[in-house]
Amino acid sequence: MNIIILLVVCAGLVAMRFVPKINILGWLAGWWIAVFVFLRWGIDPPLPTSIQGMFVAILTLALVAYLSANSAHFRFVLDQFVAFTTQKKYTISLLAVIAVLPCLVALRVYFDVTEGPAPPLSSRTIHPPPPTSIEVAGNTIDLVNDDNPYRALETEDPAAFEEHVENGRRVYYENCVYCHGDDMAGDGLFAHGFDPIPANFQDATTIAMLQEGYIFWRIAKGGPGLPNESTPWLSAMPAWENFLSEEDMWDVTLFLYDFTGHRPRAREDHGGGGDH
Amino acid sequence: MGEVETIRNNTDIAIRSSACRAERAVVRFSRSSLISYVLGACLPVVLLPLTVLAQPAPDLGADEQREAGRLLYIDKCAQCHGETGKGDGVAAPFMRPMPRDFTAGIYKVRTTPSGQLPTDDDIAGVIRNGMPYTGMPPWPQLNDDEIRNLVYYLKTFNDDFSGPYGVPDVIEIPNPPSFSESSAERGRAVYEENQCFDCHGMAGRGDGPSAVTLQEQWGNHIRPADLTKRWTFIGGDTREDIYRTFTTGLDGSPMPSYSITPIEDSWALVDYVYSLSQDDPDYATSATAQYANDPVDPAQGRAAFGEERGAYFPVVGQIIEPGRSFMPGVDGIEVKVRYNADEIAILLSWHDMSAETTGSNAPDMEVPPTEQVVRDTVTSIWSDAVAVQFPRELASGGMPYFLFGDARQPVDLWFADLASGEGRSYVGRGSGNLLAGETSPSVYATYEDGAWTAVFTMPRDERFAEDTFVPIAFSVWDGFNDERGNRRGVTGWYYLYLEPSERPSPVMPMLRASGLTLFVLLSIVGLMRFRYRTSVSA
Ligand code: HEC
Ligand code: HEC
Ligand code: HEC
Repeated sequence: MNIIILLVVCAGLVAMRFVPKINILGWLAGWWIAVFVFLRWGIDPPLPTSIQGMFVAILTLALVAYLSANSAHFRFVLDQFVAFTTQKKYTISLLAVIAVLPCLVALRVYFDVTEGPAPPLSSRTIHPPPPTSIEVAGNTIDLVNDDNPYRALETEDPAAFEEHVENGRRVYYENCVYCHGDDMAGDGLFAHGFDPIPANFQDATTIAMLQEGYIFWRIAKGGPGLPNESTPWLSAMPAWENFLSEEDMWDVTLFLYDFTGHRPRAREDHGGGGDH
Repeated sequence: MGEVETIRNNTDIAIRSSACRAERAVVRFSRSSLISYVLGACLPVVLLPLTVLAQPAPDLGADEQREAGRLLYIDKCAQCHGETGKGDGVAAPFMRPMPRDFTAGIYKVRTTPSGQLPTDDDIAGVIRNGMPYTGMPPWPQLNDDEIRNLVYYLKTFNDDFSGPYGVPDVIEIPNPPSFSESSAERGRAVYEENQCFDCHGMAGRGDGPSAVTLQEQWGNHIRPADLTKRWTFIGGDTREDIYRTFTTGLDGSPMPSYSITPIEDSWALVDYVYSLSQDDPDYATSATAQYANDPVDPAQGRAAFGEERGAYFPVVGQIIEPGRSFMPGVDGIEVKVRYNADEIAILLSWHDMSAETTGSNAPDMEVPPTEQVVRDTVTSIWSDAVAVQFPRELASGGMPYFLFGDARQPVDLWFADLASGEGRSYVGRGSGNLLAGETSPSVYATYEDGAWTAVFTMPRDERFAEDTFVPIAFSVWDGFNDERGNRRGVTGWYYLYLEPSERPSPVMPMLRASGLTLFVLLSIVGLMRFRYRTSVSA
């Protein structure tokens, strides 16, 4: 979402309210342009052109429906149209439209043909439902019922908890920082080389809405541990069970939350991820 | 001589007086000779003005500002720069250049003469913008006050900031004249006169004769900047930044400072350096294979593939599987492809400071997991190498794992060891499971002016059908950087599009579409007029 474009579009629509004597045609054109601009430039990452086209078609239909719902408006637009196509004073503009429109269409076709097709886009489920249990270094970890074994220390023994967080800090800066970045915003030194890009832990849609067991699963099994709908072949997230001990992985989980100030999703609502 | 006591050790003397280096055209970094030169000539020059001039007091901030800076530092910076500012945080062993040791008081990016401390704004600028393509990240999320507090705190690590050197001189950067081709052309002569090529190479790719021997003040090898990739400049990539870089030098690194006169020559040099590189890397997501009637002659190199720039993909360290590569030697690879009825020819080109053509290399060489991470050792054990990877079969339900495939879906790996120039193929089912493939690619590789160019030619199989997108990925090994096996530079999956041999002409579809539009418009207008006339006459 590009906030600036959104603001400009809204400002444009508000400004239209203050234009004196604007007729229904002006309104329709204004809305059409506003929504088009937002679809085209306001969304980040950009929508594929086919989807954009679909939305624009729906928008056009909706505006026509809106128009025909009010017979006075409809009559007015129709009269304007009839006048434009038949009256002498409009002849020159009419000829111009008849000449220019086909040229624009030809230009559009030219770009479509010469540009060539765009590479296929793969859609992926970002947070697939986790398995119920995983095997790490011979240990079975029950992802439904087991909690971070060191989380309880937070209240019971803050000093010991602090040690685990500090160990997590070390693990993070020795291993994760190159991808997830210094401030955990998913923009590390190597992030530009990977697609999907490394997760942004500052964002409210990653660790903030997941349980620690889910995070542990993702850390231990990495990209290759994902189910097919999450394109495991593209994810650069390493399977850390190859490098780290179970304790290190729980500790780095603590550190992710400690550093970002997020809290893990509470245990009551079972199910972990599942959201797309 | 009270002043002498403020200089605490030899290193400091060498640094403080490295302003004197500017006079020498080329400075090879040798500390002992520098020191004697310095002691003989420069010491009085540096110290004399200080005894005469009364300096304004340095701005060290208030206690609470430094304390706020300290807390931020411990949270955000100490992991790399160390709790005591010595540049020895936990992440330091994995980074080259190493995180800065703030206790030394040596800063690369400055608006002050070589050998002097940076201004507060210089340090703040580096914190805000980071140093791209190094471990030093930008911190746009910190506000101006937070950054200023950090600066105050960083200054406490070195006493010079509070002493007589605390208020450095500032070099004015004059308003730049606008860029011109002719000035850039003249700049080439200035580049040669000042022997920048000794480190940066004739084509500016960082491959000069001295490049392999350069050391930072802190003892690690450092590569001269690749001037054809302006976006990697640690001190910024505007023309003012480039002017500042060679005028003030990058202290602590072998990049010397120059005073190039007249001023027009300075800007000519700036324009020359500026003209060597595009504005940004313009990373691609797919490469296009063009149809060529005749087979490609690999011996012609790039000329056989057309002059325009190919698709350029980012290469990053393989830090996903054991045998990790935290500081890969290569950061991007350019790809151009041609095909005809029987063959597909792929040109891969990348910049490499030095060609390792002795020893050998292979994608399945063992890398001990405990191997110490060091960058750039001249061992001549491992040669440079490159590989291109495709899925063995194009399946609709997914792709092989991007690191040499997996058990479910294998990849074809075309590999070239650039010592023997021999091409090999592998079938990969994961990086622990590479078997020799059936047909080996023929490879033709050359190294010139800091760039490798390798052309792979293979029979064209049914995967490479016209008008299809084939997943493609790359691996690059820099032998100079101990890279082999899993220790390498990698890319994720990208696409190779095979452009149809018959490019459909756009003329017919254009005529058809515009004709149809015209017809519809005319019929609407005709209909309206007809109805109107009948209704009026009725
Ligand atoms: C080579 C780059 C890389 C490294 C190193 C890396 N990650 Fe990741 N990580 C990714 C990518 C890419 C994703 C997003 C794709 C995915 O979900 O698999 C990701 C996703 C994640 C997720 C899932 C977040 C979510 O919202 O589902 C967690 C948790 C995570 N990483 C933790 C870590 C930790 C902890 C480390 C260090 C021990 C680490 N990562 C190191 C690349 C990396
Ligand atoms: C992930 C590691 C890392 C973190 C975190 C980090 N830095 Fe750095 N920093 C580096 C590296 C590496 C360099 C040296 C880069 C070079 O020499 O090219 C550096 C260099 C610097 C420099 C020297 C600039 C110069 O002109 O020589 C300053 C100042 C600096 N960092 C400040 C900070 C501050 C302040 C923070 C915290 C907000 C911070 N750094 C966090 C890795 C880091
Ligand atoms: C003694 C070797 C040497 C010579 C001679 C030399 N350079 Fe450099 N230069 C370096 C090194 C090493 C670096 C990289 C420093 C770093 O990253 O810390 C560098 C970096 C640069 C950069 C990039 C700065 C940045 O912000 O990253 C530019 C531009 C540059 N040099 C221009 C020049 C010009 C112009 C000349 C000739 C007038 C020149 N250099 C001569 C060694 C040299």
